[in-house]
Amino acid sequence: MDLLFYSLLLQLSSIAAIAFFTENKKASAAAHLLLAAGLITGFITTLTAVLTSNFILKDMNVFGISTSLFRFDALGLYFLCIIQLVAIPTTIYSYSYLKHYIEKGKSVKSNLVFYAVLLTSTQMVVVSNHAILFLICWEVMSTSAYLGMIFEKEKKDVQTGAFYYLVMSHAVVFLLYVFFFFLHNQTNSWLFSNFHLSPDAGKLFIILYALGLIAFGMKAGFMPFHFWLPRAHPIAPTVFSAFLSGIIIKMGIYGILRTFQFLNPTPEWLGWLVLSVSMISAIYGVWYALAQHDIKRLLAYHSVENIGIIGIGIGVGFIGSAYHSVPIQVLGFGGALLHTLNHAVFKSLLFVGSGVIYQNLGTRNIELMGGLVHYGKYFVVLFLIGSIAISGIPPFNGFISEFIIYNSFFTTAKELKNYYPLLMLISAVGLAFVGGLAVACFTKINSIMFLGKERKEVKHFNISFYEYLSLGIFALLCVAIGFYPQPFIVIVNKVLTEGFIPAASSFSLLNINWYLLSIIFISASVGIILIFLWKRSIQKKYGRRISSAWGCGYEGLNPRMQYTASSYADELNEISKTALVYHKKVDKQKEIFPLKGKFESHSEDLADNKILLPAFRNFSSFVSRIRFLSYTDIRYYIAFILIIITIYSLIAFLWK
Amino acid sequence: MEVVQILQGIISLILILGLSPLFVGLVNKQKAIYTGRAGASILQPYYELKKLMKKETINANSSSFISTIAPLINLIAVAAAAAMLPISFARPLISFEGDIILFAYMLGLARFFQVLAAMDIGSSFEGMGAAREATFAVFAEPIFFFTIGSIAFISGFTSIYDIYHSIRLDNISFVVFIIVCSISVFILAVTECSRMPVDDPNTHLELTMIHEVMILDNSGIDLFLYQYSSYIKLFIYVILEASFFYPFAVQSYTLGIIIFVVVIIILSAALAAVETVTSRFKMKNIPHYLLFATAIGILNLLIYTFTK
Repeated sequence: MDLLFYSLLLQLSSIAAIAFFTENKKASAAAHLLLAAGLITGFITTLTAVLTSNFILKDMNVFGISTSLFRFDALGLYFLCIIQLVAIPTTIYSYSYLKHYIEKGKSVKSNLVFYAVLLTSTQMVVVSNHAILFLICWEVMSTSAYLGMIFEKEKKDVQTGAFYYLVMSHAVVFLLYVFFFFLHNQTNSWLFSNFHLSPDAGKLFIILYALGLIAFGMKAGFMPFHFWLPRAHPIAPTVFSAFLSGIIIKMGIYGILRTFQFLNPTPEWLGWLVLSVSMISAIYGVWYALAQHDIKRLLAYHSVENIGIIGIGIGVGFIGSAYHSVPIQVLGFGGALLHTLNHAVFKSLLFVGSGVIYQNLGTRNIELMGGLVHYGKYFVVLFLIGSIAISGIPPFNGFISEFIIYNSFFTTAKELKNYYPLLMLISAVGLAFVGGLAVACFTKINSIMFLGKERKEVKHFNISFYEYLSLGIFALLCVAIGFYPQPFIVIVNKVLTEGFIPAASSFSLLNINWYLLSIIFISASVGIILIFLWKRSIQKKYGRRISSAWGCGYEGLNPRMQYTASSYADELNEISKTALVYHKKVDKQKEIFPLKGKFESHSEDLADNKILLPAFRNFSSFVSRIRFLSYTDIRYYIAFILIIITIYSLIAFLWK
Repeated sequence: MEVVQILQGIISLILILGLSPLFVGLVNKQKAIYTGRAGASILQPYYELKKLMKKETINANSSSFISTIAPLINLIAVAAAAAMLPISFARPLISFEGDIILFAYMLGLARFFQVLAAMDIGSSFEGMGAAREATFAVFAEPIFFFTIGSIAFISGFTSIYDIYHSIRLDNISFVVFIIVCSISVFILAVTECSRMPVDDPNTHLELTMIHEVMILDNSGIDLFLYQYSSYIKLFIYVILEASFFYPFAVQSYTLGIIIFVVVIIILSAALAAVETVTSRFKMKNIPHYLLFATAIGILNLLIYTFTK
């Protein structure tokens, strides 16, 4: 495992490279090369460790020193694998992304340093075994993400958006401190490997769960704590928003799974709570995504949706844990774990794609795009693969994980009988509803951005080799997991059976015949190719030509007459209008020959406007009421601190 | 045994793919008779497909590779869904635990590309059709799960073949449950296949169409592929409906096939009758119609669960 630490050092050495080269261009090239090399060696080490079951659970030697600060168990290594796998193409994209800024004469060094620190600290988070080390790495991760986010700090919306992220991170860390102190108090240890509590602990068990779920759930972006996602993602540099959505929010999922490992078996109502909150998150996220016009904001809402889908799997797993049922746990947690990987892959693909579009067009508003397929055909193909995957449609990876989650519903209904079939059916309908909305949303953005005619003149649409490489790796992963899921399922199954679920050998994810799915998908693809060839020969025989589109005899069709994103989603948005979140204003035309009209629509976030912002406002007005204690002289504050410490010490002294 | 099963599956698939235009011909013929016309021969859809194949293909000037591949993916996805359906007691070609999910999502794949291909033209007509298709699909998806999905959850089987063959007629509340389910499936079929009263396949006004307006700018082999896959799709939903009656066959192959044929003829008569007596709904009312189907699905399920 020393190799892994060498790879981390190699990644950190990129910071030295940045300091060494004065010229931005050289520094960026050297730093990215070192980062990529470090990530690739790290990834190979992690993957071999997972495949050979080379897990180290307690004491290990790091550079010859025995320490229990780190632990390489199956769950940690799985997340480490995801981080490194996704970070490689993101780093490749980062090189080409920063080149645009270097050409504009902006210094990118600080951004690169934050990126390197973010990468290494995130990898450290999942292997740390000591609670304090975990918290330090977690804090470094959150802070470096914040610092990277404010790359264009002169813009006002960047400042506010990033501020929401910062507030969220601090709230999370505060809750985590309490969480780990309680755990330490109960188990007399700081080590993750020693943390374990059973429901006999009574009230504390529930309090700990509440703390863990709220803290990690906030990081993951479950409703109603998703407020930071649609604010922070659009303003962050694309590299950071891709990493944020692909990896950082997954750290919340990692935390929730660790919480489960510390505290199990779970009570059943908790499973239902997680399941219903996740279901609401999924529906809520995709519903709001449908009303968005800003591509990055839209993708941010889709993160809420997908985190919801992962949460559904976890919720089912919790229910299985309450009944000590192995198949339910394996399918529920298995679906969640695989969807974590899948979402990391396709969401990063989509974010990188949106970054490429933004670089070329200078706008994130999809209403101003259109017809891009005529400029970058292969780019559209790659983006489309990501879109199909995220909608959960076969034959790509999104389908595989949703398939496992559906199977977990079926198995729960079968195992637990009674009123469970009904409840599980409702969950399945919810997931199908989410799938339908996701299809509506992704057909919307693909067709408005890429198809038809360009609504605004496209001056240039260049995609560099590195951008294609990065997108290509992501797309290849989507296709590979979809068409040949077996090896990925083997890994997920290994994670579940080795240490995560107690006594899980009786049921395995491999009970599902994954080869059959591969055969179906491959033969369907062969069928498509055959029909394509047949169609070609027919067209050769009877001819094919290009002509203008049908306009009821009207020849003057122009790009502005095309369907827009608002009109496409209008019928669905009309429904949410009743929930007071979608506003539309149309100027009624009175003349027979109307000249000028106006239309505007905007959507508001219900949870934001009705719950969170009023709560913040109340809190700040409460705080302003105790302002009488605010002084300009620092000595007063030191005095306050001394007084507080004295009171605490007195209490502690008297307690004994 | 294995080989026989695969052969049976292949024969079923060929039957479904081959007979689907005939069903449409049957519906059209009966519709003509009900309205007092002689009507075209029931083989007319075959002639039309043959005619389309020999026509020149015209693509709109703003179309891209999406228009080229969408009809192919559409047909293959629908055919793959068709391969999961049983005819009588023959095990379908694709049959495994959980194929009900693959079935629903394969139709989703077909829809995804149909909508993209419509938007590829860049005309408002296609845009309207695509937006409607996407919207109604959101409401139609839950109906499928509340009907066939609910039988899956109740019986514990997750393969379409097993789901249908788990239906037993000895429990009266279950029989009622199945009958109401079949009504919901009928509404679903009408919506998904763009028939009356949701969509009028014979209208001449682009503004009021859903499916027909999406393929407005297609011709020749592309239109052939779209039309053929829409025929198959209608037949798929008819088989979903007809399969509810297999329990009457009591494990006999020939009886199963007779029931299949009889039910399909009855259904074509029903579809023709509905299309003769009703007119198309207002677009605004279609979600209500679909929610009605969902609501009776839920109610039905609740009643079954609590009377069991």
